[in-house]
Amino acid sequence: MSSTAITADATLPDAQPSPTSASRSVAEVLVCLPAIAADALPTVLEAIASAFPGEAVLVASSDPPANASDWPSLELIPYSNARTGVGWVLAVGDYAAAAHLAVERDARAVILLGDDTAPIDAHLLRSLADSVRTKNIDLVLPRFTLGPNDALVNSGLLYPLSRALFGADIHFPLPIDAALSTRLAQRLATSTQRLMALNQGSSLLWPVSEAAAAGLSVREIPAADIAPPAPPQDDFNALFATVAVSLFADIDAKASFWQRARGLPKRPSGQASPPPIAAIEASSEIHSMIETFHLAQDNLQEVWSLVLPPQSRLALKKLSELSPDAFVMEPDLWARIVYDFTLAFHLRTLNRNHLLGAMTPLYLAWVASHLRTVSDDPGRAARAVEITASAFETEKSYIVSRWRWPDRFNP
Amino acid sequence: MGQQIESALRQSIHRIVLVLVSFLPGILAFLLALIVFTLIGWALSALLRRLLTAVRFDERLASREFPGAPAVIADWSPSSSPTLLAARVTFWVCVLAGIAIGISAFDASYAADSRYSVFLLPYVAHLTGAILILVAGTLLARFLARTVLIGAVNAQLHYARFLSLGVKWLVLVLTAAMALDHLQIGGAIVELAFGILFGGIVLTLALAIGLGSRDLVSRSIEKTMEKPTTPRPTEVPPLTETEPPPRPRLRHF
Repeated sequence: MSSTAITADATLPDAQPSPTSASRSVAEVLVCLPAIAADALPTVLEAIASAFPGEAVLVASSDPPANASDWPSLELIPYSNARTGVGWVLAVGDYAAAAHLAVERDARAVILLGDDTAPIDAHLLRSLADSVRTKNIDLVLPRFTLGPNDALVNSGLLYPLSRALFGADIHFPLPIDAALSTRLAQRLATSTQRLMALNQGSSLLWPVSEAAAAGLSVREIPAADIAPPAPPQDDFNALFATVAVSLFADIDAKASFWQRARGLPKRPSGQASPPPIAAIEASSEIHSMIETFHLAQDNLQEVWSLVLPPQSRLALKKLSELSPDAFVMEPDLWARIVYDFTLAFHLRTLNRNHLLGAMTPLYLAWVASHLRTVSDDPGRAARAVEITASAFETEKSYIVSRWRWPDRFNP
Repeated sequence: MGQQIESALRQSIHRIVLVLVSFLPGILAFLLALIVFTLIGWALSALLRRLLTAVRFDERLASREFPGAPAVIADWSPSSSPTLLAARVTFWVCVLAGIAIGISAFDASYAADSRYSVFLLPYVAHLTGAILILVAGTLLARFLARTVLIGAVNAQLHYARFLSLGVKWLVLVLTAAMALDHLQIGGAIVELAFGILFGGIVLTLALAIGLGSRDLVSRSIEKTMEKPTTPRPTEVPPLTETEPPPRPRLRHF
């Protein structure tokens, strides 16, 4: 494998020990960069060098620069497997490329950076690497700063499911940046091999559940003042279906694990009571989402009856009768609905595209309720997310029962 | 008079019994062929499933370098298992072979000059084809209707159900016309009726969508017309009343 070493003199004779071989033996940290424009790369390398002063660091880049000698502590190497360049979030190809290099170079900590246009925070890089090296954490993910109306799919679906089923209190289970230990890198190298052989490098991967299923430790560290990047495409329905299909498939594949797994320890009771509903008028966005829900309530009964038990449909009927200014979807109802759709995905009750399409109006109903509860207040938003996640934990016995005896809940 | 009636009735019953008796060996042969081939199919299917499980067919197929193909096979397979798919296909091929051979046996049990075999057998084949067309058409109609319904609801179209019903009946009418044509029933009447019905449904849908989307289209045109009227940089923007601060933008991801 060829490597681009950052040396003072690249024409040193082979007999002498080169800085490359010296750094190969001591470099503990491997930083895997996404495809970055040539003019932006020096800034990124500068940030990496300042994050690890006086320390040899391997930096994997798809297009190493010619003036690499400006950063003597960094050894620039190309990828042996090309990254997929999906952007937005890390995909199978990204993990496969990083895991391959990590195993090959025997790195203790692998920092995998996504295709984020925001400048790289040196402090965050250092924290990610140190958590893996000194605290022996296998997967460390940044926790981004969220606005009250940000990352709603994350708050309503990904985080609660990940926490309830896999016992991982990670707010961004679909990471943009991640730090991995060698153990996890080896495991990911194995698990991604099959998908790469199937030419599915752009598929999403859920490292939190992978780590949890392997009994490895997972932690998140705050990424102060960094907002999560937005996906490039605007088609919400397609993006929602892609993410939800991938999540449900992962839950389906790891059913034997999460049915046995214990959840997180109970939180202090102060978080248990739901936040009072803000006395705000529903905005036009909320009205639009409730309108979609009403349309679905009128038209999708036939589809919902295949997925949801009568109790949930009755609760949805009552919800549809509420005015927009009193619209509240209880967290436990939302949790049961998500679990019902997860089960229907597993049982192939109906075509999976139809299933996710039928779930979208229910998600929008939850968003409308959530936005009314949150009322643009970050503090209320954090509490509401916590309450939703707790409801998913409480209702976990429901999905376990339904998964084992699916027909018991339907007349 | 009474004796004549009695004699005529006896002869009729005798003829019916004769026809039934001549039918029975054919039916027996058909059932026998079907049962034997079903049993063969079941045995072959079980054998194939054991064999493929032993050689880990699913894993091997997944690890082969056929981009996308195993995923497609797994998606169409019951419980995502190509092994199960292969076993079930084998079973049903044997059952279909049993039906075909049973019909041949049914045919062979008649005398060569039997007028039933001349007309019945081709018609049975046509009937089977028509039933398959009906089944496939009904499934397709349901699938398309559901796709349109869900898509229209998510696009906030208020006439989602109407649109879905329209698509469903378009496909069903097409299917029915194809099945009747296959059975050679109706001839030109079916073609004419189909043309009228199909055209009627398309016209109704077009009118409904056109009328229903009138607001949408007018809003779209208004937006296009309003675009050039944005203030030029040299112009001073007009003073506005104290507006409330804009709400934070909604982000799903």
